[in-house]
Amino acid sequence: MTTPTRPSLDDPALAIPVEHAGIFEPIPVPRTEREREFYDLKDGELLLNMGPHHPSTHGVLRVVLKINGEQIVDVDPVLGYLHRGAEKICENADYHQVISQVDPLEYISALFNEWGAVLSFEKLLDVEVPRRAEYIRVLAGELNRVASHMLFLGFYALDLGGITPILWSFAERDEIMEALAALTGQKLLFNYFRIGGVNGDLNHEFLSRVGDWMSRAGTHLEDGMTLLNENEIFVRRTRGIGVIDRETALRMCVSGANLRASGVPFDLRRAHPYSVYPELDFDIPTRAEGDSLARYLLRFDEVKQSLRIIDQCLHEMPDGPVMAKLPRLLRPRPGRAFSSVEAPRGQYSTYVVSDGTDQPFRMRIHDASFLHLEILGLLMPGTLVQDIMVVMSSLDPVMGGVDK
Amino acid sequence: MTAVTGYWNRLSLASRALLVLVPALLVLGGVATVALALLLPPLLDFLGANLGLVRFIIAATVIIVVTIPTAFVIIYMELKVIARMNLRVGPDRVGPFGAAQSVVHGLKVLSKEDYTPAGVDVSVFTLAPVAVFLTTIMSFLVIPFAPGLVAQDLNIALLYFFAIGGLNVVGLMMAGWASYNKYSLIGALRAAAQAISYEIPLTLSVVGVIILAGTMSTTAIVAQQSGSFLDWNVWKQPLALLVFFIAATAEANRTPLDMTEADQELVAGFATEYSGMRFGFFFFAEYVNVFVVSAIMVVLFFGGWTAPFDWPFPVQLALDPASLGIGLLFLIALAPVLGTVILALPFWLGSSRISTLQALLIGFVLFNVVAVAALLGWAFVSFDWVVGLFWMLAKSYVFVFVFVQMRATFPRVRIDQLMGFAWKWLLPAALLNIFVTAIAVSLVGKG
Repeated sequence: MTTPTRPSLDDPALAIPVEHAGIFEPIPVPRTEREREFYDLKDGELLLNMGPHHPSTHGVLRVVLKINGEQIVDVDPVLGYLHRGAEKICENADYHQVISQVDPLEYISALFNEWGAVLSFEKLLDVEVPRRAEYIRVLAGELNRVASHMLFLGFYALDLGGITPILWSFAERDEIMEALAALTGQKLLFNYFRIGGVNGDLNHEFLSRVGDWMSRAGTHLEDGMTLLNENEIFVRRTRGIGVIDRETALRMCVSGANLRASGVPFDLRRAHPYSVYPELDFDIPTRAEGDSLARYLLRFDEVKQSLRIIDQCLHEMPDGPVMAKLPRLLRPRPGRAFSSVEAPRGQYSTYVVSDGTDQPFRMRIHDASFLHLEILGLLMPGTLVQDIMVVMSSLDPVMGGVDK
Repeated sequence: MTAVTGYWNRLSLASRALLVLVPALLVLGGVATVALALLLPPLLDFLGANLGLVRFIIAATVIIVVTIPTAFVIIYMELKVIARMNLRVGPDRVGPFGAAQSVVHGLKVLSKEDYTPAGVDVSVFTLAPVAVFLTTIMSFLVIPFAPGLVAQDLNIALLYFFAIGGLNVVGLMMAGWASYNKYSLIGALRAAAQAISYEIPLTLSVVGVIILAGTMSTTAIVAQQSGSFLDWNVWKQPLALLVFFIAATAEANRTPLDMTEADQELVAGFATEYSGMRFGFFFFAEYVNVFVVSAIMVVLFFGGWTAPFDWPFPVQLALDPASLGIGLLFLIALAPVLGTVILALPFWLGSSRISTLQALLIGFVLFNVVAVAALLGWAFVSFDWVVGLFWMLAKSYVFVFVFVQMRATFPRVRIDQLMGFAWKWLLPAALLNIFVTAIAVSLVGKG
């Protein structure tokens, strides 16, 4: 087989007649074996381009569907519309600046991006973080996890056509975001964690807002669960759709809530503990089914556990400083460090190589959403067009983290 | 010549317009007067000979005029009710409680660019909204709003209604096919499949009602249910009502059965490529359809225009304005002024912050409200058709409300579940209803 070259617009074989320009979409010349197979249409098959500007592709994901009637034959996720070269940007920033550069990656739960970065830098520098700072990190992180899951629960219902849950869950998310804004000064990209601690101690407004919200969170969560959990239409559309079995989940490196919904009780907070999670009392909820409904219900369970953690953090918050004593200019010795945190979407890992200067020599960021999108190709063939919203939404990808 | 040109050039734009329009209007008015004087007697003779035609044209015009406010009311209701269910306030800027919001929406849609994308089949693309809108408002023709207030009292009214309702899908197919867009095409194909599936249980479910009434005329069906609310068909045909309600939801493309314009999957379904007022026609047709479906449900199962109970305080008004003589003139001249002043007085006395003019303005608005209320009350007592219209609209809007509430409550079903439900459950249920009704009627009679 000859190596296919990239198509050129000057190629007369590809030229579109002027009167048809803008009407026919050119099918790309295949570059790989997989593309050759995908773009070869059999009788009755149709290519449907979904995204990057589509109401329910969660940002700028583009999925090319090969459909036969309403049935999906094959899917091809096309990524990279939000690629900024974040890793390269981090390598050109000093260690402090990296924190604000990784913030916009997984923008729904920005604190975990910072957490991954500062955790690896602290390993590199061998810094001891004060206990109060660790508690504040856990507190803020779990609040962010609840906010992120609330967003998921709302948008999941929205992708199924239910328009009410999104606003109910946004009410919760908004209260958390206001509280975090009081703590960090920002509502979305917090830029709060620092190498060796956090930027600023707890303040009165944050504590009063969190206490106010925590007094209502439990009942509000129960209210939210009554909206859809036993809705016959909702359950019938999600049960048994997009089943990831245990073996597939492990083989495809699924992590986070999606893995636990397949029956694997793997949670980095317990499996490879970091911060003060070993001191805190919480469970790892799992579900055996591995379908979209299980992934939805599991997030409710996780929110409940997060509420427990927030409660313990508020009650057992130690006194002390919130920053370790560190020089302004950080020059870690040459070496490398790896850290991963349990982000709301799964394992978020940071790998950093230092060459002794004040900038990372190499910074590698791994986001779970990328691997979760890869599994779409296994789940979708044979289902209906409507199911792709259910499955894609239940995997909860955030394109900022996927495209980096 | 130059003098005339110079004079013309010195004129402002308004003066030029006046200078042209006033003579033109004078000439046109003269011509029109002469033409009327010559043509009116034969025209009146012709119209008098064809009263049915006149009646039809007037009814059709009234229906077209009435559908737009109906759509506005339902859109406003949807905005407000769904907002409340979503923990939102909803529109509250335009008009009192945001009531003019849907009108502003309509004006916005009117003023938008009417865009025809490349590659569409222009004639079909243009005609599709017309087809959809016309079929929707043509359903109005057989809905009886009050005794005597029906556009065409057909003896095959129900047959006509379902035939026209089925034509709706032709317009959707036209839109989807002509749009040159895969989302539109899939939406249109879904519409076709859904309409064919749900048309059958929808039509079969009313066969029980037809058996009970012995006719397909909508006015006769309503008349057969007259009496108290215990005489309504809903007690005799509960299964039919259930089947009809679900199938009607699918026919009106409402959540949870709005496959054709599933915005999370198909962007906007068949309407994806439409903009401006062409999209507005689809939009209006959808909301008018909700009203039509609710109204026909009330006609078939909830007694149409008949009151659910006798009015507990029978009022007899023996008003004879002519007996007042010259006093009537004084009343007409004095009542607004006196009413305004009397209603303004409490505000003027009660608050030092309200100036005299403001108090009078409030009094004037209040007087208008009172006058309209009094007029409506008098009409309600005096005319049968006002009572009928009131009950018909009240019952219909209850079901419109249910449709609106359903939209905020349910997620969408999947297409195979939708089809399976129609063929496996609704169709057998509708058939069962026919058999049970037929057996009951042959055993115990129509009572």
